[in-house]
Amino acid sequence: MKRRVEIGILYSRSGNYGLISESCRLGAMRAIADVNADPESAVEFVPVERDPQGNADRYAPLCEEMLRGSRMRHVVGCVTSWSRKEVIPVLEKWGASLWYVCPYEGFEANEHVVYMHACPNQHLVPLLGYVVPRFGANGFLLGSNYIWGWETNRVARDLIADAGGEVLGERYLPIGDTDVSRLVAEIEATRPDFILNNLIGSSSYSFLAAYAELGRRDPHFAPERCPVVSCNLSECELPALGRNGLGHLAAGPYFRDVARPDPAAPASSFQASAYASVRVLADVLAVDQEATFADLSGLFAGRTFATPFGRTALDPHTQHATLPVEIGRIEEGGFRVVSRTDAVAPDPYLSRYDRAEIFGRPRLKVVS
Amino acid sequence: MSRPARIPNLGGAKAVVLHRPHPTVNALARQLAAIGLEVGDCWPHLPAEALAADFVFFDVDLGFDEQFPWKPGEAPMPLVALIGSEAPGRIEWALSHKADAQLLKPVGTAGVYSALLIARQAFEARRRLADEIAALEARVAERQTIVRAVAALCAKGVDDERAYAQLRSLAMNWQVSVEQAARRVVAMATGEGDDHTRRA
Repeated sequence: MKRRVEIGILYSRSGNYGLISESCRLGAMRAIADVNADPESAVEFVPVERDPQGNADRYAPLCEEMLRGSRMRHVVGCVTSWSRKEVIPVLEKWGASLWYVCPYEGFEANEHVVYMHACPNQHLVPLLGYVVPRFGANGFLLGSNYIWGWETNRVARDLIADAGGEVLGERYLPIGDTDVSRLVAEIEATRPDFILNNLIGSSSYSFLAAYAELGRRDPHFAPERCPVVSCNLSECELPALGRNGLGHLAAGPYFRDVARPDPAAPASSFQASAYASVRVLADVLAVDQEATFADLSGLFAGRTFATPFGRTALDPHTQHATLPVEIGRIEEGGFRVVSRTDAVAPDPYLSRYDRAEIFGRPRLKVVS
Repeated sequence: MSRPARIPNLGGAKAVVLHRPHPTVNALARQLAAIGLEVGDCWPHLPAEALAADFVFFDVDLGFDEQFPWKPGEAPMPLVALIGSEAPGRIEWALSHKADAQLLKPVGTAGVYSALLIARQAFEARRRLADEIAALEARVAERQTIVRAVAALCAKGVDDERAYAQLRSLAMNWQVSVEQAARRVVAMATGEGDDHTRRA
């Protein structure tokens, strides 16, 4: 007899980053269906959903509404770091855990959160390690105006300096703003080697459309010469980009490689990560039916879990996943994987960051 | 030219927690390990090895001066106070040790990283300031030497303004501070050779 366990699903089904939310939700729902269909599984998940509709202020009250007066202690949800930071106090109050399945900017290791997608040493650091030797070290940094863009670009400034390059500009747009003309004019004027894009949702789609137009006017801005690179772009947003994404690069733990099409494989890293979270939770509950946040690190220690990423280890200290790192280039029909590193251990505080390892010996610079 | 390090490289830094065995120590140690530090704890005394630590966290509730192998306020590394009871006497004691940052007990996952960065920056700023003050005090202490040097130069028949200008140009030629130049002038004038009168 399977034990019924309520699991919270906290994704916005509308709003600015709806495509990502939908991909996460789909992965979680698919895993719930697979767990429930598996006769060997010890639990049957009962999903309880709330929809914050893309409003950061709705996450905490809705999360509390799910946890209050129920036995639910595990929630899969949140896309933006803003919303994750909003729900953490609620998780602490109710002794619950959040399974967070999106890339984020690092510098956090909350025992109420399991971080199943990439942190900076698994996205930004290897992405720039790939980009700098091929395209050059001078970057232009873009972001939506909240913590993901600020912190990711802050680390990027350091990495670019370590690579011997210069930050030629750094610009932010309010979430949802699609007026990108000034950004594009500045990029055209400063002629960087690459653009790091931490814009999200519609701002990002508008920017890539305007940038494609710029590339048609000026060959310097063709993706082969000056790519737009991101740490959070996946297959789920390609429909919104159309042909404007072609040739640009992204880092992630997983891409559904166009070279090896497998219709059964997850459609994006978000979906893979949400799927992985629910499967790991089911495995953990099979060992300890009453497991709460406080038991997780003990249950993670010394073992791996079967996930779409392969055998996945979760670091008991930081509760971050060890993940593959792939660099994908957008082609017709999806991403082509152009670089892959297996099993990169998480380093959310970049405590083990080593400039020489990523960029080689520092180039000599004239200093006056 | 050095640019301020922005990726705060805490990997491998050593932290010592001076606190009796307690869940607070476990929570703190967990978070420090997650950030990448090596952590040890001890009670009631800090062992000599603690002198090599990069950070010391100390209990304010039950702490006392004799726990530390240094005088209050003279810790050679950043200190973070672990405050439980906010009694004024205990806060005053923590202040006497010049804690560079504080954490309120019970310690959770929040606050540890910011305490590390704030403590390190405050400690370095305090040390830089102390060095500057020491250098300025040393210079102030040499005022009398400068007066004597100017007097010695005046004795050769120039006015005091001229004598002071001469002293400055001597310092420039010798590539030393005005104070050091003054010591040499005084020494030469009193026939003592070079500056054996150097103060510590």
